[in-house]
Amino acid sequence: MNNQDFIRQSDGLDSKSRYAKSIWQAIHTDPPLLLGISLLCGFGLFVLFSASGGDVPVVRRQALTMVVGLVVMFIVAQFNVHFFRQWAPTLYAAGIGLLGLVLVVGVAKNGAKSWLDLPGLPSFQPSELMKFVVPMLVAWYLASRPLPPRFKHLFWSAVMILVPAALIIIQNDTGTAIMVTMSGIFVVLLAGIRWRIVIAGFIALLLASPAWFIFLAQEHQKNRILTFFNPYRDPTGAGYNIIQSQIAIGSGGLYGKGWGQGAQSHLDFIPESNTDFILAVLAEEFGLFGVLLLISVYLFVLARGCYIAYAANDTFSRLLAGSITLTFFFYVFVNMAMVSGLLPVIGLPLPLISRGGTSVVTLFIGFGLLMSIQTHGHSRAI
Amino acid sequence: MTGKWQLKDHEAERTLFSGRLMVAGVFVLLLFTALIIKLVNLQVSQYEYFSARSDGNRLHSQFVPPSRGLIFDNRGQLLADNQPIFNLTVVREQVGDLEETLDYLDTLIDLSDDEREQFSNRLRRNRVPFTSVPLRYVLSEADKAKIAVNSFKLPGIAIEPQFVRQYPLADLAAHSVGYVSEINRAELDSFDDEERENYGGTNHIGKTGIERTYEDLLHGTVGYEIVEKNNRGQVMRRLDRTDPIAGKNISLYLDSQLQIVAEEALGDFRGAVVAIDPNTGGILAMVSKPGFDPNLFVTGISNKNYSVLVTDEINTPLFDRSTNPYPPGSTIKPFLGLGGLHHGLVDYDFTIEDPGYFRLPGVRYRWGDYTLRTAIGGGHGHTNLQKAIYQSCDTFFYDLGNRMGIDTMHSFMAQFGFGENFAVDINYARTGVLPSRDWKRATRGEPWYPGDTINSSIGQGFMWATPLQLATAVSIIANKGKVVQPRMLKAIDGVPYQPEIQDPVADVVVNDPDYWRYIEESMSMVVHRAFNDVFREYGTAYEAIAMADREMPYRMAGKSGSAQVVGISQEILQSGDIQVSDPNKDHALFIAYAPAENPNIKPQIAIAVFVENGEHGSSVAGPIAKRVTDAYLLDILQIDFAAMESGNDELISLVNE
Repeated sequence: MNNQDFIRQSDGLDSKSRYAKSIWQAIHTDPPLLLGISLLCGFGLFVLFSASGGDVPVVRRQALTMVVGLVVMFIVAQFNVHFFRQWAPTLYAAGIGLLGLVLVVGVAKNGAKSWLDLPGLPSFQPSELMKFVVPMLVAWYLASRPLPPRFKHLFWSAVMILVPAALIIIQNDTGTAIMVTMSGIFVVLLAGIRWRIVIAGFIALLLASPAWFIFLAQEHQKNRILTFFNPYRDPTGAGYNIIQSQIAIGSGGLYGKGWGQGAQSHLDFIPESNTDFILAVLAEEFGLFGVLLLISVYLFVLARGCYIAYAANDTFSRLLAGSITLTFFFYVFVNMAMVSGLLPVIGLPLPLISRGGTSVVTLFIGFGLLMSIQTHGHSRAI
Repeated sequence: MTGKWQLKDHEAERTLFSGRLMVAGVFVLLLFTALIIKLVNLQVSQYEYFSARSDGNRLHSQFVPPSRGLIFDNRGQLLADNQPIFNLTVVREQVGDLEETLDYLDTLIDLSDDEREQFSNRLRRNRVPFTSVPLRYVLSEADKAKIAVNSFKLPGIAIEPQFVRQYPLADLAAHSVGYVSEINRAELDSFDDEERENYGGTNHIGKTGIERTYEDLLHGTVGYEIVEKNNRGQVMRRLDRTDPIAGKNISLYLDSQLQIVAEEALGDFRGAVVAIDPNTGGILAMVSKPGFDPNLFVTGISNKNYSVLVTDEINTPLFDRSTNPYPPGSTIKPFLGLGGLHHGLVDYDFTIEDPGYFRLPGVRYRWGDYTLRTAIGGGHGHTNLQKAIYQSCDTFFYDLGNRMGIDTMHSFMAQFGFGENFAVDINYARTGVLPSRDWKRATRGEPWYPGDTINSSIGQGFMWATPLQLATAVSIIANKGKVVQPRMLKAIDGVPYQPEIQDPVADVVVNDPDYWRYIEESMSMVVHRAFNDVFREYGTAYEAIAMADREMPYRMAGKSGSAQVVGISQEILQSGDIQVSDPNKDHALFIAYAPAENPNIKPQIAIAVFVENGEHGSSVAGPIAKRVTDAYLLDILQIDFAAMESGNDELISLVNE
């Protein structure tokens, strides 16, 4: 509490010079991050136009979603990150409550019963909120404890992560559960958990995976794993998506077939070409150079996120910024690796490129938090 | 104390965090590197392979079937047309679970078991992979809509337009024009590589009649196109195309109007009518009754319809009576008489005294005169060749045949096409039997007995001839020995067709050309010699033909015949004790040509009528021949015989052209 008092004082001292520094600071916006996000959004709309076969309403709806996302990001950035720190336990409790509510009155869409249709509110997925609420709570918990965390703290962190993850798995939404878990784990990793625990955990996971595969995995999950190792065991069924996706990527070559010229996507050989498999469209039409360009923009955004985390002034901000950035990376990597056949198929979209609603807004909330950390905290560094 | 501890901790935590962030950064770069390596592998190293796979996905070379040539009759009436229909087709390789898909289709458009079975038969045939196989021909509009709406659930299922054969006259010329039907396994196996290629896009092939005989002309040459297809097998773009060459349109000598008349003239009888233009050999009409609807076969006849056609043992609608042999009976008498004249066995003055039967020396059996069996007893009395023909006296011909011997009879009759197929392009026609010593030894392992010759001299016993053969033979008499081999094909794409005949049949030459006139006169008497005071001196067909139509403007040369189906003794027949069942009744035959004995115009039509179990050649088959001849000469050729009598040369030359 002393620390916070100190901060408030110095905040007041520096306020004049901060306003003078830049207009961006004033509106709590980080220009490099905004640039990277805008490039990704533009690129995404460009690819989506082709992937949807020139479907203007689809592109327009996606553009609108992005505008909404940017507005949400801007609003989130106006709050000092410590506001979220104070509210983290409350948000978390509310999130768990909503997840419980979903189990009772939730609506199923696309096989996952994860939607809430509350009167007076647009329908939304409480599980999406947990993607930033969980790292917020874990960061809040660990930041006020000596680091590296003790075993007792790790235990409670694990409970904080696994309770919502379990509730989301019950909703039959494994993809989101993995993301929520990973966002929490990233906090723990960044908080300085000892390497031997990390390595031990990793080995334990490796040893447990065969047991999971044999006893716990559902049929479609087993299929995905088997298909990953040999797509041609069922080329027209389970392996169809990945085979067609690889054909699309491979036939794109270095320079691609040109915008709107992707035969694989335009003749409907690529399934989910607007959503999870949009990278295949991009790779087919823009070639290796197109994908490298996209990766570069992603790297730029990631680098900026890492810088924000690095430059943040307090542990909570650092942990939250680091987790948000790494979660974003995790998204990007898992999708790209899955579409190119480096990982089994997991239903995750490519951030800011794939068509989609709620998950896009969640991403922008994350970017808003990053901007809040960057623009509210720096005055304190002096 | 507390503040100090926290500040120190703050620094350590920052260092710890920075270290961890660094490690994370390294992981990020490593993982991206792995991803890029994978992408380079796909997009650079394996580019050629995936590029080919991508083209293989979307580009399909497919056959473009040629449109089948049309078949026209003599007057440009369509006998075989091509009609567009919409087929439901399946590309096996693009369908996941076939049974599941078929079950689902069943819920949409009710597939019958028959359809499923036929489809699996089609699938089993040798076929090029990724070609479409018809599941149902002729989709209704409603079914088309149901398929189209659910097409996203039906990969590999498509609706394809196709032209299929349609026979506008249905039953009318089913046997002679024939039909096309799906290519079967045996036909595919018989193809050489070139043919298999040429039939790559074709589902149908000519099975019978003209459709089969001129399959090569009608089919045409297959074309190719390269198309881009989407993942449901729908063609999105055509990239390259080699047009097919359509089959030739052909015209036949067949006259559908005459065909209709002949068909109607047969009435409810089973039988056949073959009419030939003796000047060209062109077949004007070739009817076999009962017929069947050839359209049933085009899109795959259902088992039910097919069994109806094949289980009818009496009517046997699929059986072509015009090209299958029957005992010719008395219709062979003019030919045998001509042979007697030629070989000097009889002359114009030769007569026999007919007691009503014939006996071989030393044989007790009496060969009765069948023509008399329903009449009052006794014989024809004083009988020469002419009377033997117009009264159809068996005894005269028993004697003539006996003296001629089977060897001479065989060689002379063979010149008229008995025992052979003179037709140029009806290779499926049977040859019947013109018996000989060699034939009997080869087929029966028995020597030839003199009694066999006696039976043969009235067209019974071993002698068998098709209606087509009879019409051909009588056309040779009409032509006074000149042989014009019968043919169906008149023109290809409007260009008159002259077939190259490998072994042309030699004309029939007799010692004295006047014999032709004599035979013509005798046959004319069959039709026109009226009743008079003298017992049995009228033509056998006079009552049914010339007397029935006293206005008949032309003369017709004919010969009736009644061929025994089973041997029933005269006593039993005359006693009236038993009723002869229908299939055991005699076959009725009549051969004729017209106009006969006309100094102004040559014969224009030669005809053979066969009526199965019709009993009486002259009274049943004769009027049918008369009706067809009338229709041809008076309605179709519109010959004005009255004007001709008055010597209108201009008109005559016009007709003769």
